[in-house]
Order: sequence, then C-alpha cells, then structure tokens
Amino acid sequence: MPGIVKYLAGVDTPETLVFGITGRQGKSKSHLMRKFGTHIIAGCTPGKGGQEVDGVPVFNSAAEAVQSFPQLNTAVFFVPAGAVKKAAMDAMDAGLKFLVLTADGVPSHDEIVLKEYASTKDSVYLGPNTVGLLDTEGYLFGLIGGSATWAKKNYKPGKVGVISRSGGLSQLLGAFHCRPNLPGIREDGSYGPLWGEDYPGLSAVVCVGGDPVPGISMLDAAEAFEKDTRTEIIAAYGETGTTQENDLAAAVTDGRITKPIVIFLGGKFTKAGVAQSHAGAMIRNDSETWEAKNRALLNAGITVVERPDAVFGAILSELNS
Amino acid sequence: MMSALPEYRTRILLQRENVPLVSGVFMKPGEDIPLDIPEMPIFLKAQIPGATSRKSHGLVRRVDTYEELEENLDVLLSPGKWGQAEGVLITEGLDIETEYYAGCMLDFGTGDKLPGGVLLFSTEGGSGVEERSGSLLKLRFSLLHPPVTEEIETELREFKDLKECKAVAEFLEGMISTYIRYKLIVLEVNPLGLLKDGTVAAVDCRAEFENNAVSKRDREIFFPPEIGSSKNLTRLEEIVELINRDDPSGTGFFRQNREMPPEDALRVATNLCGGGGKMLWEMTTGSRTDIFTMNESDTSGGLSAFKSYRILRVILAQKEARVLLLTGSGMAFQNQHHLAAAVWKALKESPSPLPSLLRFGGTDEDKAQALFEEVSDSLPVPVRTYPPEVFPNAMVDDIMEIASLEIETGNEYVPPSGEPAIIVERPPGKIYFYPEKWTGDESPPSVKACPTGFLQWHNGELCTDPDARCIGCLMCETASLMEGTCELIIHLEMPEEVD
Repeated sequence: MPGIVKYLAGVDTPETLVFGITGRQGKSKSHLMRKFGTHIIAGCTPGKGGQEVDGVPVFNSAAEAVQSFPQLNTAVFFVPAGAVKKAAMDAMDAGLKFLVLTADGVPSHDEIVLKEYASTKDSVYLGPNTVGLLDTEGYLFGLIGGSATWAKKNYKPGKVGVISRSGGLSQLLGAFHCRPNLPGIREDGSYGPLWGEDYPGLSAVVCVGGDPVPGISMLDAAEAFEKDTRTEIIAAYGETGTTQENDLAAAVTDGRITKPIVIFLGGKFTKAGVAQSHAGAMIRNDSETWEAKNRALLNAGITVVERPDAVFGAILSELNS
Repeated sequence: MMSALPEYRTRILLQRENVPLVSGVFMKPGEDIPLDIPEMPIFLKAQIPGATSRKSHGLVRRVDTYEELEENLDVLLSPGKWGQAEGVLITEGLDIETEYYAGCMLDFGTGDKLPGGVLLFSTEGGSGVEERSGSLLKLRFSLLHPPVTEEIETELREFKDLKECKAVAEFLEGMISTYIRYKLIVLEVNPLGLLKDGTVAAVDCRAEFENNAVSKRDREIFFPPEIGSSKNLTRLEEIVELINRDDPSGTGFFRQNREMPPEDALRVATNLCGGGGKMLWEMTTGSRTDIFTMNESDTSGGLSAFKSYRILRVILAQKEARVLLLTGSGMAFQNQHHLAAAVWKALKESPSPLPSLLRFGGTDEDKAQALFEEVSDSLPVPVRTYPPEVFPNAMVDDIMEIASLEIETGNEYVPPSGEPAIIVERPPGKIYFYPEKWTGDESPPSVKACPTGFLQWHNGELCTDPDARCIGCLMCETASLMEGTCELIIHLEMPEEVD
C-alpha cells in the first residue's frame, strides 16, 4: 500500500536524503526517523562530504548525493532558517520530489521565492515550520513523535487522516485517534470513553506548518487524503491567517473533496494585524478572520468544533453516520 | 517579529542600491550641529521607528534660520509622547515640481495565485494614497525575477500625465532591488519628488522588516548597537532574551500582556508550549473577563530542561500572578520527565511559586506524572497534574478552586555550598557533588540517571566523558533527590535577578 507521499508528490517508496545530518538535531532526528522505518540513504552538509553519520554517507551537495544514489526522491531539512531557501532550491535542482522543511523563522521573502521556484519544478515541499509527516505505512519525516518508540506506540494504522497547521496539534490529533478508551465528549453530551479497544486509527499526519506561505497547503493535503483509500475521514486543525481553510471549503463545495472533514478552528479571539507565535496566523485581510473561515467551512458542510477535545467525538459521530 | 526602520536608516539601504535621495545629514542626541547641513530652508525630522503622520504630530519641521534650527532641535531631541528620538534627520528644502508615491509590499498569495511582491505607485504623493485607488498602480512582481526599468516604464504609461517616465521607472527598479536585497516587508517612499531639473529623489521614506530576515552583515543598520533594544521589552522579557542568548536550544518565547486586566480578574501566568497551545488557551479564555492571561510563552522544540527552568522562574516572577497553567509540549519534542523536573525545581526554588495546573503529554509523560505524584506534597503550593487528553478547556474549570487554596510563603532558595565539581557551558549550569553523601562502590543514582553518559564514575570519583555532552535534562539531580542520597545538586544561575 503506498503511503500519503504517493498522492502528495508521486513518490511510491520514499528514499531519503537528510540535509544537516551532521548537526545535533539532524543526527538525532535521523536516528528517530530510521528507527521508525524511514529509508535514509544519504546525508548532506556542505563541507562535510566524505564523512559518515551512523553509517549514512554524507555529501557536500544534493547533486553529489543523487549522483551516488539515483533512487533518492525525498529530502528532510534540519538546517538553519536562513539556509533553507538555498538548500531547498539545490534539492529541487537535483530532482528530489518531496521536501520537508522543518525550520522555524524562514524569512517571508525566502518562502515566497521557494513557492515560485517550486512551481517551475517537479517538486513539492512541506513547511516551512513543520514537525513533518508521519505515515502509518512505516515512515516519518521530521520530528513527529519525539522518539521512535513513542511514535510506534501512539500512531497506529487506521482510517483518519490528520491535517494541521500546528506541530503540537498534529501530534495530538494523530495520537488520540489511536488511543484505546480515549475519554471525551460523547454525542449525548456526557463525558467518558468514546470508544473501547477499537480506536479509529490513523492513515497519516500531515503538518502543513505555521507559516504564511506553506508549500503543501491544507487543500493539497486534503486532496491527497481524498485519493488515499485508507483514509475515510479527515481531522484538521486550522486557524486565522492565510486562505487555506477558505480554499478547503471551496473545494468541498465544488465536490473536489468528498470525504467528511472535522476541523477545530483556532484563533476566535485573534486580533487583526497582530503578530502571532505562528507567523501564518496573523490576520492580513477580512477573509483571513476566524469568522470568515468559520462561515466558509460551515457553508461547505464541514463540521467545525470550537474545542479541541470535541474533534474525537465528532469524528466518531461522522464515522457512525 | 516585525520591526520598523526609521527614515535615516531606510535611506542607507536605498543609497546602497544607488536610489537617489534628497541630501541630508543625521544628528544624534548630544552631538553638535553638523557643519555640513544643507542650505536654508531645511527640514528637521525626528527619527522614531514606527512613527507615522509625523508632520501632523510636529515631528517634521521647516526651519529658515540658524536660531530656529537650534530651538527646534532641542524640542525634537527631547523625549516626547512618541518616546526618545534616535536623532534628527536634517534634509534640504527642495523645489519640488510634483510629488509621487511609491511603495513595495508582499502578496502572500492564495490557493490559486502565487505569492510575490507588489509595487504601488501613484502620481499623487501624501497621506491616504491607498484610498485613492483610481490613481494607484498595483504591479505584482516576482521576487525571483524582478522587473527591469523597461518593463516598469511600460506599466507606467497608463499615467498619461506622468513626467519623466524613464527616470521614475529607474527609481522604482532601484527601490524594488532594495526591497528584495534586504527582504523588507514594507518599503515606502512618500513623497517621491520630481524636481525642477527633471530628476527624481526620495524625499521621505520608511521600511518595515522581519527581525529574522536580517543578515549578519547588515545587523548594524537594523539593530544599531548604540541604540540598544528598540523592541520595547519589559524587564522580564529582557531576561528571557538573555536566557535565549546563553542557551539557544529550542524555542524560548515570552511576552507579557500589555493590556489592563479587568477589575477582579484572576491573573494567570502561563507556559503554553507551541503556537497551537496558545490558540487553545485563547479559545478557552478569550471571552472570559474573570481570567486575565498575564503572558504568552512558547517553550518547545527540544529546549533543555535548564532553559525550561529559567523561563519558568521568569514566568513565576510576574507580580500579582495567582496561578500557573502549564501545558507540556503538544506531544513529544521535549521529554516530559525532563520538563517535570524543571517545573519541580522552579516551584521549589522560586521565592514566588504559584498554585499550578500542569499537563504533561509526550515521551515519558508517565514518568512526569509519577514524579509529581511523589513530590507534590512537599511543595509550598498546591499542584494538580493532567494527562495529555485533558485540554486547557477542561483544566480551566479547576482554576478558581486552586487559586483559592492556601499557599506557604517565604520560600527561600539556598544555593549549594562549596565549589562546583563540573561547570557545563552550554546549556549553562553548575554541578555540585558531595562525595561524603555517596559511599557505595557502584555508581551513585545521579550518574546512573545521566542519559548521555556525560557523567561517569571511575574509581569512586565523579568524572565526565569528553566525547559525551550534558543536555541539561536535570535527570542527575532528580535521581539524587528522589533516591534520597542528595549527592548531586545543580545550580542554575539566572542571567539577571528576576525576583
């Protein structure tokens, strides 16, 4: 069974290059990813070509890595925010199809340039400012789970696809759909276990990141889940800023997305023009307000909940209906 | 984080890209009047980042004599309602034939439209140009392949009465080039003056920028060292900046609420990990007037427990806070046992601990819960812990009750005695070891608990492995205290006194 990256980037079997693998975070997260099952076959740090990190060969550039390992098709970046643009463009030039940009604080100019550059290439990217992607087929890119043991214990195969603009909520929404006897608000308003041992489970978690110019948008992720036969329903976290939720609502209205969606929409009290800890949550115009998004989502028939712990009960209701 | 750049510093950027400017000199407070001031009449402009409508606020003044110059400089260089000016820009009074407006901004795009830059141009300068849409050109441009003079000139032809079209187009090309080179968010020239001799020049300008977009080589323009912090930080926020300087691991964000709390509202100090955590809390309390959130904080992304402790000490030091609400990382970046150790230590050592609602979720969440089950009774404040599936909206139901409980006062932290056995530079911390408290042959609990192998035990003595590093997790001290042996204590100095 192909994982969600097949539908995001046309990649059946991800073969991965890690940028910044010689750094502290690159090293530790590579260990996490490999232990979870991700195929990491090369690393890249300019000036450190020829070294090895836990048996993984390191190259000076993406082009050099691809020359030695032509099967490379995916890259995860643990590089400083200021270096993301160049590194990602090099990876696209080298023909890598799916990139995961984890760094927080990438300048808006760099994000805009990357978006334009990617539109001319056969590449897509997740982030920046993302915890990454986890697929229960057995791979993860980025930081999800913190440790492989924890990730394997908490993310189990099933029918829910998760899309989120927040790292923490990506992980919560994913893990709690895999937790037996999860307590929550039932349909009758009472509080107690929503399900027994037969939790709904997860197909994949896609964190689109908290920045104003995401590579893969919420709609792109929803379109991938639409094609993914494992996924029966989508659980999402959206918030103010950008037009991602509005675009998602429009796609549901015109029938491009047919699978049910439950979304927790944050930012009800966010003031326009005020910077948020998610750079992308800042409201820049009327269509980016909580009210406008809530209206658009409801009009499209999407279930919007105002409490994060109401997502799970709503998912259960949708699955039972 | 976005900041504003005053005119005199924006001019440096434009000048570097050869964009023509009216001539002028900058004068700092305390300096003598420059010898090379332009001929009278001249304009004096107080330089205050972010100040708008300067003319109507008296921050821009025309001067015709030297006496007027001295008198007005005194006023403009004194602190006013806008604060202290960085200085005064003295520019020549030009014979301007026509005033134009030019600006650059970002378009963040939508699902079906690529993002890019936008050039704004109007044949009418002055304020309120955005509303005069009839005369406003909005030219979208690529940051990757910006337009050249000829392309801009073609677009400008829609203004039938525009004089010196080529000179204006050249100016705009230079402006776009400046905008892109310095990754500015906003760059405005208003007015852009067409002079009698047919040349154009920036008469006034300003910029906004993202702090994280400033390259090292340009830092002195954007953050002049002699001006110090222009971020308007509180004392506690300044301390968190220093904590981040000393220990850059993960995210350490802290901002205090500048709003006035509603009367009788319960003041809650928060440590919410991640941007999503902040949204959850806002959704829970945003409409309530009985709860006042004293601060925002985001401690996530794999920061050390040493850093968590220090930021918690700052959070707890907020005057008049009644309760601490902490939600551990969304899931697992930060080991929750390490975080719990930091919280325990902060509540023990802060002179102003707060009744606390603590939610741990992620790696070793069970150990975090277990730690507090054992130590809660020994703390001077009541503490309640929650599993990760309990979100802030449910935690807030307990907030009034825990705030009403009695707390012990007079919490006094006594630093460990003697000399530290090990000084860790990054993350910074001092490890004190008391060999008389451990007489066993095997490694003491503190050494056994070290997850990286940094602490070693050889021939009955504590030492370190030079190939391993201390990650500042506090597991050594926690084990030593929990086992009751107390052979190892960590002292974490604050960069400045917080309490």
